Amino acid sequence: MSEVRLQIQHLSKSFGITKAVRDVSFNVSKGEVHALIGENGSGKSTLTNMLTGIYTIDSGKFILDGKEVHPKNQVEANNEGISIIVQELGTLSGLTVAENIFLGHEERFVKYGIKNTREMNRQANELLKQYDFSHIRAEEQIDEYNFEDRKLIEIIKATYFNPKIVVIDETTTALSQEGREELYKQMNRIREAGNSVIFISHDLAEVLDKSDSITIMRDGSYIDTVRSSDVTEDDLKRLMVGREVSGDYYRTDYGEKVSDEVVLSVDDVSVPGLLHDISFNLHKGEILGFGGLSESGMHEVGKAVFGASYGRTGKVTLADGTEINNISSAINHSIAYTSKDRDNESLILNQSIEDNITLPSLNDLAGPLKSLSDKKLRTFAEKYAKQMSVKMQDVDQFVSDLSGGNKQKVVLARWIGKGSDILVLDSPTRGIDIKVKQDIYQLMNRMRQNNKSIIMISEELMELIGMCDRIIIMKDGAINGELTRSKELNENMLISKMV
Amino acid sequence: MNATETNLSKEEELAKAKRINQIRTYLPIVGLVAIFCLFIFLTNGEMIAPKNLILLLNQIYVVMISAMGVFFIMTMGGLDFSQGSILGISSIVICILSPHGIALAIFGGIVAGACIGAVNAYFHVCRKIASFIVTICTMFLFRGFIKYFASDSPVRASMTVYDYDRIELKLACTVAIVLVGFLVFRYTPFGTYLKAIGSGERGAMFAGIRTDRMKFFIYTLAGALTGFAAFLNIVKNGSATANVGNQLETQILIALVLGGMPISGGAKVRFSNIIVGSLLFYVLYSGLTMIGLSPQTLQLIEGVIFLIFVAVFADRKALKVIK
Repeated sequence: MSEVRLQIQHLSKSFGITKAVRDVSFNVSKGEVHALIGENGSGKSTLTNMLTGIYTIDSGKFILDGKEVHPKNQVEANNEGISIIVQELGTLSGLTVAENIFLGHEERFVKYGIKNTREMNRQANELLKQYDFSHIRAEEQIDEYNFEDRKLIEIIKATYFNPKIVVIDETTTALSQEGREELYKQMNRIREAGNSVIFISHDLAEVLDKSDSITIMRDGSYIDTVRSSDVTEDDLKRLMVGREVSGDYYRTDYGEKVSDEVVLSVDDVSVPGLLHDISFNLHKGEILGFGGLSESGMHEVGKAVFGASYGRTGKVTLADGTEINNISSAINHSIAYTSKDRDNESLILNQSIEDNITLPSLNDLAGPLKSLSDKKLRTFAEKYAKQMSVKMQDVDQFVSDLSGGNKQKVVLARWIGKGSDILVLDSPTRGIDIKVKQDIYQLMNRMRQNNKSIIMISEELMELIGMCDRIIIMKDGAINGELTRSKELNENMLISKMV
Repeated sequence: MNATETNLSKEEELAKAKRINQIRTYLPIVGLVAIFCLFIFLTNGEMIAPKNLILLLNQIYVVMISAMGVFFIMTMGGLDFSQGSILGISSIVICILSPHGIALAIFGGIVAGACIGAVNAYFHVCRKIASFIVTICTMFLFRGFIKYFASDSPVRASMTVYDYDRIELKLACTVAIVLVGFLVFRYTPFGTYLKAIGSGERGAMFAGIRTDRMKFFIYTLAGALTGFAAFLNIVKNGSATANVGNQLETQILIALVLGGMPISGGAKVRFSNIIVGSLLFYVLYSGLTMIGLSPQTLQLIEGVIFLIFVAVFADRKALKVIK
């Protein structure tokens, strides 16, 4: 075993009466990628948030290179040699790229009280060059760049000062394959420089592939630390859940014939700058997958089908000839949509579970003169929340209080309640833990058997392969290939069509 | 996003949210009763003398009807500062049309109000300008028109309007409008749609609500409601001066906030905010006047109370830039 970089000793943290982290101890070695896994709510993020100074420590300590550290904020953490890359956007809009990179460290460029912007930009540009991100300019506003590029800028921000520990908190779920590759490269660089990475991810295949050792947490407690080379994905699942994961994960059927009946056809659909001449048919009882890099236009396909694209041309037609041109006609004609941007587009966070579930169905539930009965609404919401086993106190609870997996269950409950026959699911399992993922896969399978049709857009190639009857691969806004369900299908076959 | 933290402090947060919600619901009502009783005591019962009660009611009609439109707008997360000017323009239109028949005058007032509301809606919805900017602009613009029409001498209505200055008529109109508003807001999808737009416009759009159409309609409706309120105003005053409708927008805003309305709109608004708020505002106002405070002191006290209520009722979780 190599030298110890960080010792975590008897760490505990409570929020009110609940213990988020209970007496956790383990070590992180020099020059390793140390994965931290566990289901939602297992305490991973609380632990790393204490390390990076976002939360205070209740008891226990962090010892970095033999010296106890307890940073009070992220800038102090940086000065101790600790940095973090978060899941969602960690950059500030309205500032330039350079200002974002050096946020909190402006004093380096201040002389006689005046900030030397030119010097700041020069150094930032140098860093961008060093990291091989030369297409990004330090002087530009950060808003000029897309999500992926902004993540790359965050990587620089978190690593340019050669920190001893870099925490990467579920960053990869938000990234496309190429963004991930870039992140992996940087992780390797950090590791080779003798520094350490604490890597939090829900993607177990990725964890096994990219980390040296893995610590598993469950319900705030430390469970075990294992060498990545000694374990399988199933071992990890068992350790995380605390019992054998029973039942099937993906679909197990192969060679089932899909009906020839077309329920939805998309003809020559284009969206300026995003999609060019897309045509395909969706059949009854089919799960049709869309894969590609995140900029390939696949996410726009979902929006186009749902009538939510701006400036769309071409036709989206149902079997009976109805054309879908806007969101309300899509919903009224039994099309459902779950967005990749769950918090803003699929849900209304600051409203109750009941409101969120009933919203698209209000007109169906209304009686004469459009009158609504509170009791009817509540029964409806409770029925479908229960059917999806949403973990909640009651349906009055606000959606903003729920975990990612439970939020997605609310979204699905809404559309099951609406009785939609065509479901467009964009990244349905993004940032969701194994147990809920399994629930969603099983639900999709049941729906398929009940002759509902599903379009599944996903950046996780394994779930496309595991769930879909057909997979359409997108590249640069156009269709670049189609693959049919088979046991032989593997990730490389998809990737070769993506790039 | 930190799942752990949100999961674990949930119970506490829920309990806290519940408490705040309770305060938000009951404080205005308790406040209304308390202040009413206090002023009855301070004015030795003067406050509930019939002539004072009628005076009080007379002030409330206009604000309560106009406040309903603004309530809908604020529920969607917007603001409207143009109501005073709308009242002014509509009052002038009513005065001018009143010799040609009262029905035409009322209709004209409503149309004038709706048109200004539609101007607000056009710039806010189609040109994507924040509502408070748009409505501040139209406030100044139409205030200018009012000054132009009414500066030299007030615009006088035909004497026939005084025939309608009957308490039962004004009360019935107000009650009817507020009642219809309540039923539609509380018991049809309309209210839920407005709240959904206020809590998350994009999410509402993706749930199938035609958000732009809805917003356009509501701004126009708010203008039309104030256009009708202008009729009750003219019935009382008989003419429109250059100052007609001055500060109505602030009175509405203070009334709604006193009624417990969160300034960012969304899921936590209640229809009772309008009624309790308007009553509270005028009980406070006339009470303070009766115990002999000068208008200047009144304004100062209003400001302080307004600030306190905004601070108490702000829904910090939902607080963002107002649309």
